[in-house]
Amino acid sequence: MKLIFEQSGKNSEYVPESKAVLREPFGRKELPIPDLGEVQVIRHYTKLSTLNYGVDSGFYPLGSCTMKYNPKINEDVARLPGFAALHPLTPEKSSQGALEMMYELEKDLCEITGMDAFSLQPAAGAHGELTSVMIARKHFGKKRSKILIPDTAHGTNPASGAMCGFGMVTIKSNSRGNIDLDELGKAMTEDVAMLMITNPNTLGLFEEEITKIADIVHAKGGLLYCDGANMNAMMGITRPGDAGFDIMHLNLHKSFSTPHGGGGPGAGPVGVKKFLENYLPVPRVVKGGDRYSLNWKVKGSIGKVGPFFGNFGVLVKAYTYIKAVGPELKLVSEAAVLNANYLMRKLQPHYDLPYDRICAHEFVLTSKKQNEKGVHTMDIAKRLLDYGHHAPTIYFPLVVPEALMIEPTETEPKEKLDEFADSMIKIANEPPELVKSAPVTTPVGRLDGVAAARQPNLRWSNE
Amino acid sequence: MNYVPNKGKETAEMLKAAGVASFDELFASVKPKLARKLNLSPPKSELELAGHMLELSGKNTLLKNFVGAGSYDHYIPSAVAHITSRSEFYTAYTPYQAEVSQGTLQVIYEFQSYMCLLTGMDVSNASMYDGASATAEAAFIACDITERSEIAVLNKLNPNYEKVLRTYCESRGVKITGELTQKSACVLVQNPDFEGNVHELEEFANRAHEAGALLVVSVAEPTSLAILKAPGECGADVVAGEAQGFGNPVSFGGPMLGYIAVKKDFVKRIPGRLCGMTTDSRGKKGFVLTLQAREQHIRRERASCNICSNEALCALAATAYLALMGKTGLANVAKLSYERAHELQKKLGELGFALQNTKPFYNEFAVKCPIKPKKLIAALEKRGIAAGLGIGEDRILICCTEKLSEQDVEDYVNVVRGLL
Amino acid sequence: MRFTKEHEWVELEGDIATVGITDHAQHQLGDIVSLDLPKVGTKVKQFSEFAMIDSMKASSPIYSPVSGEVEEVNAELGTSPQLVNESAQEKGWMIKVKVSNPKEIEGLMSEEQYKKFCGEKK
Repeated sequence: MKLIFEQSGKNSEYVPESKAVLREPFGRKELPIPDLGEVQVIRHYTKLSTLNYGVDSGFYPLGSCTMKYNPKINEDVARLPGFAALHPLTPEKSSQGALEMMYELEKDLCEITGMDAFSLQPAAGAHGELTSVMIARKHFGKKRSKILIPDTAHGTNPASGAMCGFGMVTIKSNSRGNIDLDELGKAMTEDVAMLMITNPNTLGLFEEEITKIADIVHAKGGLLYCDGANMNAMMGITRPGDAGFDIMHLNLHKSFSTPHGGGGPGAGPVGVKKFLENYLPVPRVVKGGDRYSLNWKVKGSIGKVGPFFGNFGVLVKAYTYIKAVGPELKLVSEAAVLNANYLMRKLQPHYDLPYDRICAHEFVLTSKKQNEKGVHTMDIAKRLLDYGHHAPTIYFPLVVPEALMIEPTETEPKEKLDEFADSMIKIANEPPELVKSAPVTTPVGRLDGVAAARQPNLRWSNE
Repeated sequence: MNYVPNKGKETAEMLKAAGVASFDELFASVKPKLARKLNLSPPKSELELAGHMLELSGKNTLLKNFVGAGSYDHYIPSAVAHITSRSEFYTAYTPYQAEVSQGTLQVIYEFQSYMCLLTGMDVSNASMYDGASATAEAAFIACDITERSEIAVLNKLNPNYEKVLRTYCESRGVKITGELTQKSACVLVQNPDFEGNVHELEEFANRAHEAGALLVVSVAEPTSLAILKAPGECGADVVAGEAQGFGNPVSFGGPMLGYIAVKKDFVKRIPGRLCGMTTDSRGKKGFVLTLQAREQHIRRERASCNICSNEALCALAATAYLALMGKTGLANVAKLSYERAHELQKKLGELGFALQNTKPFYNEFAVKCPIKPKKLIAALEKRGIAAGLGIGEDRILICCTEKLSEQDVEDYVNVVRGLL
Repeated sequence: MRFTKEHEWVELEGDIATVGITDHAQHQLGDIVSLDLPKVGTKVKQFSEFAMIDSMKASSPIYSPVSGEVEEVNAELGTSPQLVNESAQEKGWMIKVKVSNPKEIEGLMSEEQYKKFCGEKK
């Protein structure tokens, strides 16, 4: 397909023409972007959209990403002029609805997670994680220098820790895929600021000894952090706050149904226990009588992590979802976990299952059996595209070689799970040459990533 | 309403197939269990939900916007929302499976190209959270390259940008100073600055480079690039900014759309996603995420930044906006914004407001009020006008965009005249 | 040629040591896409990091087998990083170091020892 820059036409009149002739320094000589007619632009991006695959196109079992259905009303609500056209510096009196929404959302997130206070300011999961590490840094100052992470951690965990100058220490998992308590006991010293864990972890397994883990960390004065990317497995069933976590982030674009947008915007609120509350970013939304306002004067706050109050449009969508579902969030998590276990047992006879136990909302298979025929995880992923599914997360977590991490989510009907299982089973038995030549039905074939990285072409140029 | 499609019959079948008798067994290893129902408001039907949300949004009052200060209320052509509403775009994840993500990937490539063309830089990333955190990350690029750990901020940054920069620097152990020394990794300036002043970037570039530092330019109002000389042509090494003003609504301050653009030599230092053009197994042109060894999932604790989700859908809106506007439309947007702001500034000057800008300004300016800004803002709010942002005791920062008509400016002035 | 446990090789001629990564290492890394090499004149210390190498699936530090000062850098790797894949122990050399203590080399593995070392690791 042509690039937008390779087309030309006549610009439509969206704003009145200005006859102003501006002098230096406003005399930019050349603005090398094309004028195009509206129909050209609409066709260009409509055509591009058809080369994409979203949750609305079909099954999207991308592990760790919770690609559940995105209810349409959420999109409409976020576009209501009362929200979308509201300037962030509108006086408080004129923005009561926005402040009320944020206040209520914080309250609901506290109830769902068992934490005492939330900040909605972080713009994504990794941003929430960074905010949490900044809080740990502020809490301990230079007194503690290390952060512990299990070997199943998301790649963002070590990066976030390092960004705040912490040394990262890896804790090995045991044969059940959980944190090894002996290892943890040895590593947990008074120099450790925080243990960062994902629960359920990236193998799709609940930490069975979570309260013991909390005790070990707290006995040495450390903080226990929950990467809440996998909240979809536990809503209404267990709460990180009750399990002993001191601080956590949530991905509203995962468990709370806001769309991922092809890579964002998301929202990564951070929740803490009371004793850490004052570290949260400012301003905080507060309620006095029936008026909502912004409190900038919090002693001890880490400051600001974003220019305003977070990804408000995303927050509106998550709020709408929580108001729709209410206490039935428990049914959501039950269905998510059931869908995963059902699919796991259907696939178990055909694929290697490294941890054979009840899983949470996702599970990890490997292509070990298929490797013998020369077929690898990458090939299976690409072949799934030919069958009209999105691929699972692959080659993650790193502790499992040739991993396929599958997360069906609760919004998939049984018939879709069966259809996906049938495709997976077919692929397991297909001739290796066929699987290795996939995909053949997609808009493009396998792309040369090596050439792209060795000779980067990152932009169009008019030269 | 919980969006779970399976009914009781399927659920029973599936539990059986999963080898468990009940949900209790499925969650047997989970502890501690929540022994009660979540204390949330009861589920709502879509009809009830729509009513509730309309009511909530109605508690906000939309004012005529004369406020900018980091969030710019420009006109958005209808076609933009029609493009971003294509669910193949908005319900997709980050384009990990390139073969079924060419739509998102080509859009990112086009976004990167647009940002390069506008800033005069060689390479732009696929987006950052917002201009404020992008500015902080841009300064860290300079620290990384120069192996220095001080940032010289030489003009007035948007205070929210400055606060974010402070938070980021504090945790990273980087010092912010107000003067350029041999320890400075970069000169950091905002253009136009917080009060709207347009600076001569060449001068900052020369000073920075003489001291062995880089010039990092932060641009909060993206439409200014339509009429100002590109920072890349003035010697900027890194440009970080905000592109919300391109086709994204103000939306109470988020989502925003940050980006970082750099000179070619620094491409490997740029944080965030990058999309590159390549070929496929059939010899066809295609796009992939590239240079990923810079990123957290590969470099882990050695990565300079942990960003993964960015603001892809906002980048799509900006790309569609720029495509629709073209050079002609974008120039009109900038000129109209300029004209309105200058009209208003002139009229306020005539009413006895002391003009505060020491340099040429684009669409935002500061004035000293003859009455308390608080009083002025409250009085205009009653008349449906967001007058501006009070700064300090007696000054106000005012912004105009093309969305304001000559009549709107006239109305503003008339209300103010009545107060004096 | 001598080898390190971190899979670098070094060959000493006079007081100039040529340094690169082993063929075994490039196999493990897969397609190499870029390298961050030091400038001429940089001082390097034995077993400390002097460069980063990025492949499609990993980003790894490279440690110097010897101490000294970088005399020459293989500029060809800037445009053709694939030389490390194609010819790790010849055309894919990375730096030449003027060594400060030639004796350091004696503590490194011989080819035979290195082969055994790699075999054990499997």
